[in-house]
Amino acid sequence: MLKRLSTLVAVLTVSVLCKAQETFPKNGAYDERTGRYAFTNANIVVDPKTTIQNGTLLIENGMIREVGKQVKIPAGTVVMDLKGKYIYPSLIDLDSDYGMPEVKTERRGGGRQAPQLESNKKGAFGWNQAIQPETEAGQLFAPNTKQAEDLRKIGFGTVLSHSHDGIVRGSGALLTLTDESPNKAMLNGKASSHFSFSKGTSGQTYPSSVMGVVALLRQNYYDAEWYGKSGKSEEKNLSLDAFNQLKGLPSFFETGDKYSLLRADKIGDEFGVQYIIRGGGDEYQRLDEIKATKATLILPLQFPEAYDVADPWDADLISMTQLKHWELAPKNTSEVAKAAIPFALTTAGLKTKNDFWKNIRTAIDYGLSKEKALEALTTLPASLIKAEGQVGSLKAGLLANFLITSTDLFSKDNIIYENWIQGKKFVLAPLNTADLRGTYSLSINNQSTGKLQITGSAEKPEYKVVLQDTLKITPKAVLTNELLTITYQPDKKRQENIRLTGWKSGTGFTGEGVMPNGTVVPWTATLSEPFKAVASKDTAAKKPVETGSIVYPFVGFGNETLPKAETVLIKNATVWTNEKEGILQNTDVLIQNGKIAKIGKSLSAPSGVKTVDGTGKHLTNGIIDEHSHIALFTINEGGQTSSAEVRMSDVINPDDINIYRQLAGGVTTSHLLHGSANSIGGQSALIKLKWGANQSEMLVPQVKTIKFALGENVKQSNWGDITRVRFPQTRMGVEQVFYDHFIRAKEYAQSWKTYNAKKTGAAPRRDLELDALAEILASERFITCHSYVQSEINMLMSVADSLKFNINTFTHILEGYKLADKMSKRKIGGSTFADWWAYKMEVKEAIPYNAALMYHEGVTVAINSDDAEMARRLNQEAAKTVTYGGVPEEEAWKMVTLNPAKLLHVDDKLGSVKTGKDADLVLWNANPLSVYARPEFTMIEGTVYFDRKKDEEKQKTMAVERERLIQKMLSDKAEGRPTQRAQGTQPRMWHCEDIVGVHAEHAEGK
Amino acid sequence: MKIEKYKIVNRIVCTALIAFSVQANAQNPAPALPQTRPIVLTGATIHTGSGQVIENGVLSFDKGIITQVGPAGSGNTSGAEVIDVKGKHIFPGIISLNTTVGIQEIASVRATLDFDEIGQVNPHVRALVAYNTDSEVIPTLRGNGILLSQAVPQGGIVSGSSSVFYTDGWNWEDAVLKKDDGIWINWPAFLARSFNFEDFSVTMKRNDKRQEVLDQFVSLFADAKAYAAIANPSPVNLRLAAMKPLFDGSANLYIRADYAKDIIEAIKFAKEVGVKKVVIVGGDESYKVASYLKENQVPVVLNPTHRLPGRVDENVYLPYELPGLLHKAGVKVAVTYADEWWRTRNLAFLAGTSSGFGNVTADEALQFITRNAAEIVGIDKMVGTLEKGKQASFLVSAGDILDMRGNEVEMVFIKGGKVNLDDKQKRLYEKYKVKYGKK
Repeated sequence: MLKRLSTLVAVLTVSVLCKAQETFPKNGAYDERTGRYAFTNANIVVDPKTTIQNGTLLIENGMIREVGKQVKIPAGTVVMDLKGKYIYPSLIDLDSDYGMPEVKTERRGGGRQAPQLESNKKGAFGWNQAIQPETEAGQLFAPNTKQAEDLRKIGFGTVLSHSHDGIVRGSGALLTLTDESPNKAMLNGKASSHFSFSKGTSGQTYPSSVMGVVALLRQNYYDAEWYGKSGKSEEKNLSLDAFNQLKGLPSFFETGDKYSLLRADKIGDEFGVQYIIRGGGDEYQRLDEIKATKATLILPLQFPEAYDVADPWDADLISMTQLKHWELAPKNTSEVAKAAIPFALTTAGLKTKNDFWKNIRTAIDYGLSKEKALEALTTLPASLIKAEGQVGSLKAGLLANFLITSTDLFSKDNIIYENWIQGKKFVLAPLNTADLRGTYSLSINNQSTGKLQITGSAEKPEYKVVLQDTLKITPKAVLTNELLTITYQPDKKRQENIRLTGWKSGTGFTGEGVMPNGTVVPWTATLSEPFKAVASKDTAAKKPVETGSIVYPFVGFGNETLPKAETVLIKNATVWTNEKEGILQNTDVLIQNGKIAKIGKSLSAPSGVKTVDGTGKHLTNGIIDEHSHIALFTINEGGQTSSAEVRMSDVINPDDINIYRQLAGGVTTSHLLHGSANSIGGQSALIKLKWGANQSEMLVPQVKTIKFALGENVKQSNWGDITRVRFPQTRMGVEQVFYDHFIRAKEYAQSWKTYNAKKTGAAPRRDLELDALAEILASERFITCHSYVQSEINMLMSVADSLKFNINTFTHILEGYKLADKMSKRKIGGSTFADWWAYKMEVKEAIPYNAALMYHEGVTVAINSDDAEMARRLNQEAAKTVTYGGVPEEEAWKMVTLNPAKLLHVDDKLGSVKTGKDADLVLWNANPLSVYARPEFTMIEGTVYFDRKKDEEKQKTMAVERERLIQKMLSDKAEGRPTQRAQGTQPRMWHCEDIVGVHAEHAEGK
Repeated sequence: MKIEKYKIVNRIVCTALIAFSVQANAQNPAPALPQTRPIVLTGATIHTGSGQVIENGVLSFDKGIITQVGPAGSGNTSGAEVIDVKGKHIFPGIISLNTTVGIQEIASVRATLDFDEIGQVNPHVRALVAYNTDSEVIPTLRGNGILLSQAVPQGGIVSGSSSVFYTDGWNWEDAVLKKDDGIWINWPAFLARSFNFEDFSVTMKRNDKRQEVLDQFVSLFADAKAYAAIANPSPVNLRLAAMKPLFDGSANLYIRADYAKDIIEAIKFAKEVGVKKVVIVGGDESYKVASYLKENQVPVVLNPTHRLPGRVDENVYLPYELPGLLHKAGVKVAVTYADEWWRTRNLAFLAGTSSGFGNVTADEALQFITRNAAEIVGIDKMVGTLEKGKQASFLVSAGDILDMRGNEVEMVFIKGGKVNLDDKQKRLYEKYKVKYGKK
């Protein structure tokens, strides 16, 4: 009695919990039911690790009351015998837009519209339209019948839904997929916070690039902190209020690929937030780095279709990256699992939700364990969203969200019969369908007519009518609730139909038929031979599908294993030292531990050391390109006139093929600059071209530089009339931009100094843009300024003088020859083109003698590329300074090696062949300034990243691997799997002025 | 496939009217005066442009025509001005095809752009009459050895008619060497590119709209051929009239096509419609169809080979190797800077690079910018090699013209007249040497 009472109390509590519509008036009589069901004799998969054989699940009022082998079933319970069947927790998707309003992204004009400098969202919100912490999925949620049904059909019971719009997307809501009231469906209206790199529907110009997004998001964190402490008293900001309220909720970051995943995590690290990151499905390409983030992932099951590669020329469009990703994408989840990186799965990104089961089974074929798969769809997502007390497993007290299946959930022929959500049944396939398969003798009008064969599966039977032993006809047949309709044409030529209708009767069928002539006749089908299931062939555990190897970077020219630093002795070469020793003939250089260890004549090789014969060859430093835009995902943050807060290091792309191409031209180091779309650009990044390495291995972090720009680009002269909005539009305005920003930066630095001295009162608001400018004022960050004509160059020098900061380098500096004396006096370097001119007004007076004139006036001169193509023959460009203006050859060579090293303040390590410096070296087959010179190999820190012979071998092995993949694709096509047309993607080649390029591309309408 | 930066800048629609005024300190120097007496150059290494190299050779010319090329001691010096150019190198004038030199000055200033007429079918528009001999770009080309330049209309599906000019002359009538040497068409690419604003990448896929253009070509060329057969057409159709020389072989049909399939299709088309002389321009994938090109004796004018490979997985050096690959396969090939007008002064270095990275000698590579170019255009009876009877249009360089280390043009003769090698850039150089007290 006592026990019964406690059960009753428990039930009451539960019912209070789940009666969400208590407050609603009812139209008609109340229809409350206990909803008490028991499912007996089932294999109950409580969670991925626990299965109860032959158990019972008891639910009541939408909740699980008891699960176990011995469950006492109270009176008044609907009992369902599930002998041989399975029960699983229903599935959870954490990246859903279920019930959210449709996000309509207007196709922006790509520059054809007037720039929108301010947010279109009016009210006491934050300044940027893409930052929407005030969005609440809970408020937006309206049940969507179609979406819910599509998800239920594939076994889902719960989703975390949020508005997929903007960079900060506000909070998410945890919802069940019931078709009952939204009040019941909503488990938690504010369950999570959501972020992305996409600005969504915001038409505001800032941010226009992903590095701008990073900066904006970081600034937003700082602003929120300031607002929480002292900013509140200065302004009311609903967005910052809301942002602060999101703190502590599980934070989800949507990304699209491996590098944005890493980028997202880096932001989280700065603010002590561990994001749960939605990946793009290519994580296997950078597993070590991703594991190091310690993030839990949400992975899509999106696999590319095979390409149509039948035509060999069309197939050339498809890159090895595409081919290999096609093969390896299904392996992603198992690779991630193998690396012990926790992950949940999502249906997001699937072409149709129906692909879900097909794809997850493919992933299992490629090595994903079923246990892991189940965990990724149930317990793990439940715990990520802190709802393990409600969903994700089958334990007493949790919601009655479960699936009834015919067999193991992941097996190929499994059928999900029912998806129960909060105690409500949704039928997906009839449970306990009678198995009517077998061979029947067919008799029509009491005459033996032939046979009726029913095969296939019990749920989806297939029919054949066999006449005269040999003639097999596939009839049209419908079987519903043991009522059968069959129509067939005994003779196709005559197109006459025999129509039969009937019902199950004993072990056969009986009924009435109509002959083509209208005669009504009786018919029967008598079971003559019961159905014999063909034993499935491969019950043994299947071996995972075999695939090719992963290469680093994930490009055709990538390597399976990364090259390592070697100890090498180069014998008898002509060595261009760039030191006072000059060019040494017949000289040996020993490379050890990544450094230049010894330089001399007839050095003896330590034992086991590789020797390279340098006879007739020239050994030099690797080329340093002072002005480059390779290996970047984006280059311009042109949304505002100053973007000092953005960092090129946030958008380094180690997979850019131009890294390899430039190694093949003797380049070892590239200074990656922001573009020239605005007066104050972004923070540059110096990278070494370590092909295959990750971003942090490539980056030289101690180099702190920033890009500035002057002239036609920053005043938007060539972008059409539509861009006459942003200040400045004249060179007069450009000067004021600098004054304005630097004076503010001075005041800002002062306010921090004052605060730090006393530590009383409110801390100033941290401003990332002013931080960078303050670093310039403190001589901690160096300016590279894009510049063309003398007036503006003169102007910036005078601004710098009056505000007491230094300009490190003028880049392009095509009229540097007119001011070389002034530059020299201020020790400003000039990094220029050898011979560019005539492409716009401000380069009309550019001359190829520029470098020589600056050099002769004592300016440190570099020759740069600003161009992925020219960079791979910068040696040829340097040689032009000999032709135009007679720079000595040795000095010309320094313009692409030592001088850029000096301008970048790394000449203590790079730029000359000197004992103790980095072994960043190139062996040329001829004088490096000759048009006939080409690198034999290019090494960085003693590691050979490009080798001419290996390059030739590589092309051969690539051809073999390519053909293997193509053959595999062709067999896919032959097996009738869908294919897509061959199409290739090429990354864009960046120039400084590429914002111009974008406008033009658009104007061409291509 | 690729749009070079300059082309992009070219296409910008600047509605702002930016008045362009020539503010140079001086105009281009006066063109060379006609040769008044025989001249003999002695002691130089003569690169004839047909693969032959004469060490310590003699080159004689009179009345603008080469009278003799041979070894030391050969030729007649009586009454001639003898110039000792010992240790120097003599090369035929470089011929730069496929350019917008003279019809484009400053890319961002629309008022200076005369190469792209509106409308799709413009066989009747002629670069000839727009060619500006006063362009400040032209003298800078001479300084690197370019003595002949083909000005080519761009845009549309039929861009217009090109002409070949000396890079020296008072006006276009004076400078032109061959008028209306061919009509230029743009073959609709088998692959179309589409630009993605999200990540600024370019997607290449089958072009579904090309058949429309192909149909247009079929009817245009059929009409033009029929028109050509009418003795005194009335009404006169300027477009069709301009195409008449294509059917009697007096003008080239230049077809811009890069992809292997486009190239084959374009050549088949041209033959079927009765065009006598076809030239493929662009030709990025011409190496794939080299045997077809050879068999049909169709030459190729390559776009700049100082470019990146077309595909991520392509041999890194393929563009550099391309001219050599075609040459070795028996295809006549010229290299060019295409519409990158100011950059054409580096044309010799394209040839040099093709030797440095390819399987051809420097003197074979020289032919890509001299003899082959002349033969393709049909001016090889006058220029392209240093042979008796041809025009005395050549240069004297301190060293190897194909190498930056040797390309120092000291003398240029055009039709025997000695050309003033001054240009705006040199004048600015001199001006600022004064500022810094240098000589």
